[in-house]
Amino acid sequence: MKMQPRSRNVFFTDMWALALLAPMILVPILTTNQYYYSLANQALIGLVAALSVYIMLRMDLLSFAVPAFMAIGGYAAAIAAKGGNTNLLLLMALSFAAPALVALPLGALVLRLKGVYFVLVTFVFNEILQLALFETPKLSGGSNGISGVPSVTLLGMDLGTNQGVVYVTLLVAFVATLITLAVTHRYRPEFASIEENETLAESLGLATWRYRTFGFVVAAGVAGLAGFALVNMLMTAHPSSFSSFSGINYIAYAIVGGRGTMLGPVVGTGLLVWSSNLFSSKGEYSAGLFGLLIIVVVTAAPSGLVGTIHQFFKAIRRRLSVSADLPTNSDAATSQPIKGGGP
Amino acid sequence: MESFVSTGVIGLSLGTQYALLSLGFTLIFGILGVINFSHGGFYVLGGYVAYSFSHLAGVPFAIAVLLAALACAVLGYFVELLLVERHVNDHLTTMMITLGLYLIMTTGTLVVFGPEPAEFPFPVSGSFRAGGFFVPYSNLIVLGVCMLVIAVVYLLMYKTRFGIALRAMADDREVAIAQGLRPAQMFPMAFALATGLAGLTGALVTPILALEPHVGESVLAKSFMVVILGGLGSIGGATIAAFIVGIVEAYSSVYLGGSKGALTLFILVLAILVVRPNGLMGSEARKA
Repeated sequence: MKMQPRSRNVFFTDMWALALLAPMILVPILTTNQYYYSLANQALIGLVAALSVYIMLRMDLLSFAVPAFMAIGGYAAAIAAKGGNTNLLLLMALSFAAPALVALPLGALVLRLKGVYFVLVTFVFNEILQLALFETPKLSGGSNGISGVPSVTLLGMDLGTNQGVVYVTLLVAFVATLITLAVTHRYRPEFASIEENETLAESLGLATWRYRTFGFVVAAGVAGLAGFALVNMLMTAHPSSFSSFSGINYIAYAIVGGRGTMLGPVVGTGLLVWSSNLFSSKGEYSAGLFGLLIIVVVTAAPSGLVGTIHQFFKAIRRRLSVSADLPTNSDAATSQPIKGGGP
Repeated sequence: MESFVSTGVIGLSLGTQYALLSLGFTLIFGILGVINFSHGGFYVLGGYVAYSFSHLAGVPFAIAVLLAALACAVLGYFVELLLVERHVNDHLTTMMITLGLYLIMTTGTLVVFGPEPAEFPFPVSGSFRAGGFFVPYSNLIVLGVCMLVIAVVYLLMYKTRFGIALRAMADDREVAIAQGLRPAQMFPMAFALATGLAGLTGALVTPILALEPHVGESVLAKSFMVVILGGLGSIGGATIAAFIVGIVEAYSSVYLGGSKGALTLFILVLAILVVRPNGLMGSEARKA
């Protein structure tokens, strides 16, 4: 029961992640600038993908397979839309279900692997899916991909306009955030015990494989939603949109922001998408600047930006409460420089 | 029959290249517990350093290869000392650091040498012919040199005090430190050895394959395959797995065609992992 206040704290921080999405509704109202639309779409899609990474990190599993699941979701939606089913809700459900169904048997296979093996196998899984896309030209269009995907509709409305696409992406991001929030809080104790010590959790009677598989399946579904939003934005499903190395970006979003709370992926995605757009004006230097930024953030703030800021405020609060408790020493306590940072 | 034999030799040659490449990767993981995402970057850097020396400065190819290995080793030493050392126990952080480093290295080669593949032919041309089959001399030379270097790495790891100390560190870091080994001295040296091997491989192999800034990604994926198959951190496992991967790749690309061959290989690796979750010769996995 001692955990209670802390878990409520985390819930509040996680709600912030949801609250920060709300102002995005204003983007299509306030501006018609294509640049901001594109930035909003990229950030929201990146966020959904980063949330998929985040769910797995809650169980101390680092998954590189996000682009693969994105591809499955995106291609499933593209094929359905080509077949005439353009209903938004149907396509969202499909893009969640298709990768989740693939993840179920795959999870049974790869979740037996521990630690670094899991990391590397998920990386290899991307390569397999890329090759599989090239080898099935009838279904996936091979190296040409599927182009001219029709725009989605909802209640007879055509959402193919630039504003419409932003709203679709926003809805996807909202749903994905809600799913992540629900799963990580409903199973918070289970995931935490798996993260902390899986053997102990298992010996205390927790059927860890069940929760791991569940988390893996949901993470795959969330990634599929990101794939759908990406295909919807580009109106094309193409293997190059889902390269293995893009998976590294999504991991960077989650880790740079901080893996501790859902606010982390939001902050990390915002910062990195914004800065990589900024860097892209530097042409060929952009990847290097992005790399430099990642190195600087992870070495300066090992628990992510959100985690480090959180620790910083906690340290200040402790300092303030110490000076409040000891009024006679208050002058000495407050005159101490903050950067001195005692334990 | 003739193509069967020459494909086999090419497979062996590929196997030695992969062995050399993944030895470095698996050494860093085994000793430091770091997944080095910049491994492919050092391979590419080695290729470009050798290219610069031999084509732009006129240094003989053999010396250019040695200089490339040395340059990568020196860079690796300082990377470990300045960036990785302080975070060595944090897998995620070191992964992100080496990843950022890879992006910076790729950008560096891209800016200096441009995106087009470099004209970097192997200095020895022609083929060895016997009894109807033929193998390019370049493949034979690479095969020989790689075998030699692998032998040297084995001698270093198993017969010298330095190698024994490194393996002690990999086996049980706490006990090794308690016995007086100093990680702050060993880790940069181990990292330098591994990146030097990557640079050497790059310098030797890129004239046969291709030299362009982005080739590091596929090289990294290949090292992943080999070390997963062989068992992370296992030197013997990586060597055996490298030959399996090289030979399967050579035969499947001849008899099944390019991407089907690669697909076969990936599925083979997954199948082996189902039976042996720690790879062929891996021991208990570390936590990521």
